[in-house]
Amino acid sequence: MQRIRFIALKEFYHIMRDMRSLTIIFLMPIMMTFLFGYAIDMDVNEVILAVADLDRTADSRDLVENLYASTYFTPPDEQVDFKDPEQILRSSKAYAVLIIKPGFSEAMKGGEDYQLGLLVDGSDNNLAAAVQNYTTAAVNRYLINKLPPRMTVPGVRVSYRLMYNPDLESPRFFVPGLVAILLLMISALLTSITIARERETGTMEQLLTAPVKPVEILIGKLMPYTLLAFLDGIIVLVFARFVFSIPFAGSYLLLLGFGFLYVMTALSIGIMISSLVKTQQVAMMLAFVTTMLPSVMLTGFIFAIKNMPVALQVITNIVPAKFFLVVIRGIMLKGAGLDVLAMQGVYLLIFMVILMFIAAKTFRTKVV
Amino acid sequence: MLRSLLGMIRKEFLQVSRDRNLLLIIFAMPLIQLLVLGYAINTEVKLIDLDVYDFDRSALSREFISSMRAGDYFVLHEGDESLFALAERFESGDGEMALVIPNDFSRRLTLGRDVTLGLIADGSNANSAAVGLGYAAQMAREFSQEVTGMKPPVEVRSQVLYNPEMESIYFMIPGIIATLLTMITVMITSMAIVREKENGTLEQLMVTPISGAVLLLGKLIPFAIMGLFEMVIALAFGVIWFGVPFAGSPLLLLALTTLYLFTTLGIGLFFSTVTSTQQQAMFFAWFFSVFAILTSGFFTPIANMPHWVQYVTYLNPMRYFVSIVRGIMMKASGVMDLQADIIALAVFGVVIFTIAALRFHKRTA
Repeated sequence: MQRIRFIALKEFYHIMRDMRSLTIIFLMPIMMTFLFGYAIDMDVNEVILAVADLDRTADSRDLVENLYASTYFTPPDEQVDFKDPEQILRSSKAYAVLIIKPGFSEAMKGGEDYQLGLLVDGSDNNLAAAVQNYTTAAVNRYLINKLPPRMTVPGVRVSYRLMYNPDLESPRFFVPGLVAILLLMISALLTSITIARERETGTMEQLLTAPVKPVEILIGKLMPYTLLAFLDGIIVLVFARFVFSIPFAGSYLLLLGFGFLYVMTALSIGIMISSLVKTQQVAMMLAFVTTMLPSVMLTGFIFAIKNMPVALQVITNIVPAKFFLVVIRGIMLKGAGLDVLAMQGVYLLIFMVILMFIAAKTFRTKVV
Repeated sequence: MLRSLLGMIRKEFLQVSRDRNLLLIIFAMPLIQLLVLGYAINTEVKLIDLDVYDFDRSALSREFISSMRAGDYFVLHEGDESLFALAERFESGDGEMALVIPNDFSRRLTLGRDVTLGLIADGSNANSAAVGLGYAAQMAREFSQEVTGMKPPVEVRSQVLYNPEMESIYFMIPGIIATLLTMITVMITSMAIVREKENGTLEQLMVTPISGAVLLLGKLIPFAIMGLFEMVIALAFGVIWFGVPFAGSPLLLLALTTLYLFTTLGIGLFFSTVTSTQQQAMFFAWFFSVFAILTSGFFTPIANMPHWVQYVTYLNPMRYFVSIVRGIMMKASGVMDLQADIIALAVFGVVIFTIAALRFHKRTA
């Protein structure tokens, strides 16, 4: 026990001495929380819409005023030239151009059928879909309010209720996921680098000749990084609670339990990588490709798994972060308990046992 | 002068070509990432899991349900379970939305009266919930027009330019290419220079009769060439493999890429002057990359961000480059369309490169 403590202490000094790296380790979660909390919002809030009113009647002006009065549409910042509407999109001054051809006013009074023209910049497919939806919905709402009842279509309306996130705030979706990413990043990446570094500089041999068992070295080396990983996780949770006011609906204890399983899995991956490589540079690249990239891209952290090709969907099942993501979102946002998350727990447990077994084996044969 | 510069460049290329791992990182990694990211990144909202609770069970309600199957928007789960099962479906992440059809659905509709459907959505994924509600409302509207045979007097007819099928991948590939170029050039430049510092070979170079400027150019030109090479490979891969259309001028894109490389190489050089180990250089490069990628408008439109974040994005050189790559590839934008981005990029390049070069000079001299 005491020997483990000495190794852990030694590792701790190493970490503390490298202030520049340490600063980044703590700045990283803060920056990521802020960026994912404020900057990344897949939900489109504001559509920059340029309106070319060729009808020039009281009715058409009323429609334009009505559109801009809603929070969904804003006019372009700069004056735009409607002679070439496509140029407005090409220079990205607006997302879409609404063209009100002459005849709108007559149509509102019961004249012939009439079409408003909407020219949409399709380069961002998500934005383009939102622009179409918002504009159609806004125009329909306008018609229902302005037209006499005999001219509106009776029929099916939708009333909706949003659960867990009634105001549709996207930090609630992204910020809990960050915990999964950061726990993995710190524990897998840093452990792989630290062991590779000891081997690169030859100090691993010195450690092995000291009167400590390899397992004790391993545990001692890993403890400080586990601590760092959990600290980073807690930083994100504190920011989530107090800056973004994301409620914590479930049990802290349950999250801690799952977090422990998950971090053990990540540490095992780190040990495996470090046993396979000789230099820090390669360890870093390998850790990046096997942990960071899949955890960000193949887990549903940002992009939905079911939209991926089937082959890639199958691969997502070997990414532990995918299961932890379901767990942390479930616990934090929906108050899910162990009964609902049992499957995820079983998966993570299986991952942990298998990976720890392989890691211990490779460490014994390759490093010792 | 020119001879010693050529000698330096040759030395750098020799050094890189001897380091198999580095070669792998420079050329294989971007292709793997492009492949994985190209398939994984998809912002289309499709195949939403929709649980249907039909309390009407009439021909009309069934017709409405089947109309919701059109397109790939919803995956319907019909069941006669009670509504109480809903909470568990949501908590476990199996269900995303639920549709409740009241038992007077067909009666009211045939009487020509309004009927209101209940839609319950898991809002934790804000984007897909909002888009899903939009789809459902649109489908309800189309269904009412069909049933009543009435048409509103005014309709919106939209035309989508540049990407009429609204393929997510056409939008993402240019962004991914810009991301890879940024990450790789900043990381490799900073790490390579720090490594020479770590090994002490930088000092050896300095005692040779090579001037500071030649040393600097000799170190950076090979990385600039590699960056351009990488850009060409990534572009070719995107166009050939993923079938992304290339509407604009490739020559203009390469010219502006060169302009952008001044900035990324400058940043890499700067990081190498403020760090002393490869690990630190990697951390700095990584920190910068995360910031640059997330505020570049790669994932989400910048205009969608809060205003103070929008001002922060002006400090991100990658923002201008992403807009340039997308503009040229998708919209065939020319110099006039992109002039604001180009000017900003040029200013950034000159300022960052000068600062970095001066720092490097002071350190080495």
